[in-house]
Amino acid sequence: MQRDRRIRLAAAMAEHAVDALVLLGNSNVAYATGARWPLSDPGRANIERPVAVVVAEDDDPHLFTTFPELGLLDLGLPEDHVHGPLYLDFDEGARDLARFLAELLPPGARVAIDELPGAVRRHCASCFADGGPASADDVVGSAKLVKTPDELGFLRRALAITEQAIAPTQAALVPGMRQNELTASFLRAAFDLGADANVLDPIWQVMPDRLADGPWTTHGDIACPLLTTERVLERGDVLWVDTGISYAGFASDFGRTWIVGASPTPRQEAQFRAWREIVDAVLEVTRAGATAADLTRAARDAASGERQPWMAHFYLAHGLGIDSAEPPFIGTDLGDAYDERQVLAAGTVLVLEPLVWEDGIGGYRAEEVVVVTEEGTISLTDYPYDPYGH
Amino acid sequence: MATEVLPDELALRTARRQRAFAAMDEHGIDALVLGREANARYVAGAQRLWTAGTRPFGPGCVVVRSTGRIHLVSTWDEGIPEDIPHEQLFGITWNPGRLFAWLQSIEGLAEARRIGTDSLTPGFARAFPRLFPHAELVDAEPALEDARRIKASEELVAIKSALRVAESALAHTVATLRPGVSERTLAGVFMEAMARLGVTTPATQQVAWISSVPRPPSRQDWRVASADDLVSFDAGVVAGGYVGEVGRTWPVRRQAVDAGTEGLFQRADELWARLVDACRPGAACEGLLDAYRAVGQELPSFPVASGLGLGFDAPVVAASLPRTAATTVLEPGMVLAVTAFVTDQRHRAVLRKDAVLVTDGAAEVLTTAPRWPDDHVP
Repeated sequence: MQRDRRIRLAAAMAEHAVDALVLLGNSNVAYATGARWPLSDPGRANIERPVAVVVAEDDDPHLFTTFPELGLLDLGLPEDHVHGPLYLDFDEGARDLARFLAELLPPGARVAIDELPGAVRRHCASCFADGGPASADDVVGSAKLVKTPDELGFLRRALAITEQAIAPTQAALVPGMRQNELTASFLRAAFDLGADANVLDPIWQVMPDRLADGPWTTHGDIACPLLTTERVLERGDVLWVDTGISYAGFASDFGRTWIVGASPTPRQEAQFRAWREIVDAVLEVTRAGATAADLTRAARDAASGERQPWMAHFYLAHGLGIDSAEPPFIGTDLGDAYDERQVLAAGTVLVLEPLVWEDGIGGYRAEEVVVVTEEGTISLTDYPYDPYGH
Repeated sequence: MATEVLPDELALRTARRQRAFAAMDEHGIDALVLGREANARYVAGAQRLWTAGTRPFGPGCVVVRSTGRIHLVSTWDEGIPEDIPHEQLFGITWNPGRLFAWLQSIEGLAEARRIGTDSLTPGFARAFPRLFPHAELVDAEPALEDARRIKASEELVAIKSALRVAESALAHTVATLRPGVSERTLAGVFMEAMARLGVTTPATQQVAWISSVPRPPSRQDWRVASADDLVSFDAGVVAGGYVGEVGRTWPVRRQAVDAGTEGLFQRADELWARLVDACRPGAACEGLLDAYRAVGQELPSFPVASGLGLGFDAPVVAASLPRTAATTVLEPGMVLAVTAFVTDQRHRAVLRKDAVLVTDGAAEVLTTAPRWPDDHVP
């Protein structure tokens, strides 16, 4: 898998005319090196983060880590490619990076980086070409857009762990339970099943029937995701569920609508059917070569009414794999012209997340994970839609 | 945790904002454009969605000194303090043009002569000079560190509260320690206990490792405990934005521990006592590195001390930052997570990590979690 990624990264570096990548972002480092560690709180992750340096002509990346033995034992990196940690929020650490790059790279090398902490700007300016470094996110982003068969295998496992952990959590849901108890159940099961980390504070949002009963929003539309508290769930509450884990450097995503202790009313059941029709319409046009705009058009055409059938502040669909939401983003406020220019490739993994909302009745939202193929799509999940769909 | 999403309390917000504005004055910064959630939380006091790991920089919070206003990226007002009114909220956007237009519309930002950011990306580093041609773009982290490293009394309350949750969840986890339990299950037990206590966000997800020098678990080495193993716990939660972390090592079988193992625990205690003693006001942080040398223990590659607050704070004391440690001085009001970590020839490790408050006199240990062998088995 890392060999395949190396080839993809080299191609992306050539395409972006970049000689070396300096990677600070956790998911970029995981992608480039195959290193695997349980993600920590962002406040801690900023400081105690592994750093990778990828050089175009070198088959192996350099890894700087607080756990050097990890690189040697698990990743098969040459000994001289595994280094102690770089603390790039500190002048001393940034100077160490500047010295390392000056020794490693020929003068004039074109370097891309994904983040520029102040200390790096102060001490590494000489490492970058005039006009500043290129964006390493763009390079890694284009490399990881298409998943290899090995990567899809890991991603399927991440998704399976998530669904197997969700099942007992959903089964335990009864009126009187608290939102945080759902989190407790889910996290316990996910770790038991092999998750490396939880990637977001799981969402079990109680949806109002009317937008006016929810929080004020900048766009006058649905507020979501709202945070989990110790709120007691009541019979009939409609929950929008959204969660994900990381496993072996892959991120999962899961979304469903549940009803606490009750079956859906005929109106609610009709909303689920309407959601299913939107998903089916989008899947009908999704294949390699389709544009993102083909998907948004299909969703709008399948939806009854004026309302755009996805969240105004998000998207109809997003990519998945290394991050829990990564390019391509389809149906954002970048607009239709942008989506017309986004062409889907075989091997891209998409999470479709349309929704149906009728003010006064509430709504239905769920997520469908598929991989794009030449002919269409293959579903990567098979979790049921209970209590809907009967 | 409450039954609704609430902003941080007024007294806490006020104390932090006073420190932040004072630091802006001190460092001559007219406006802050913040991407790091810990900094945004510090000045705004708003709860936003927690995600694990580093995040790419993007403007999520703007502070303007001349107006005293705080502007936030948030599509809704739930969890937003009432002193950040709707006009100062801006919905999530994927469109750089809209984001830039918002920044340019913020009263007082275009007039700022020095704009501080807490990080940048290559894209924003190119965009900001075009957006604000009259401003000098500076690193705001030194100013924010100045503000954040000394804790207000309200922050100490928040840190202690986070510590109690971490300790309680740890006690629950240690109680399940027995031969045959895996590192993975111990992590799950900790997460479950933490969430049942009302906190759904961990600070670290390593949680437990068995016997040998700590290394991040991978599927291959999520090991299973046997009777003679030592299990080290690095237990951390994020409660109200604040990190509470505690580290302990427990023998799997508490009875019949051999003399070598007892000696290892004694060395950890000796190192720990030296570390706490080094946490004196006015002392350089290198005293913490010296403590390791004094007991003949090789320094670990991870930090032996780091500031606790909203995530990691200054100072960070690590073997690979020797000059930083030599020139950074401890001050009353700093809270450090101090780690004693000792190993033996058998690659067995004992970890003892505590939260320590630097005071005018002797350091105050904020952690109360029991430890082997002095305390009863939880």
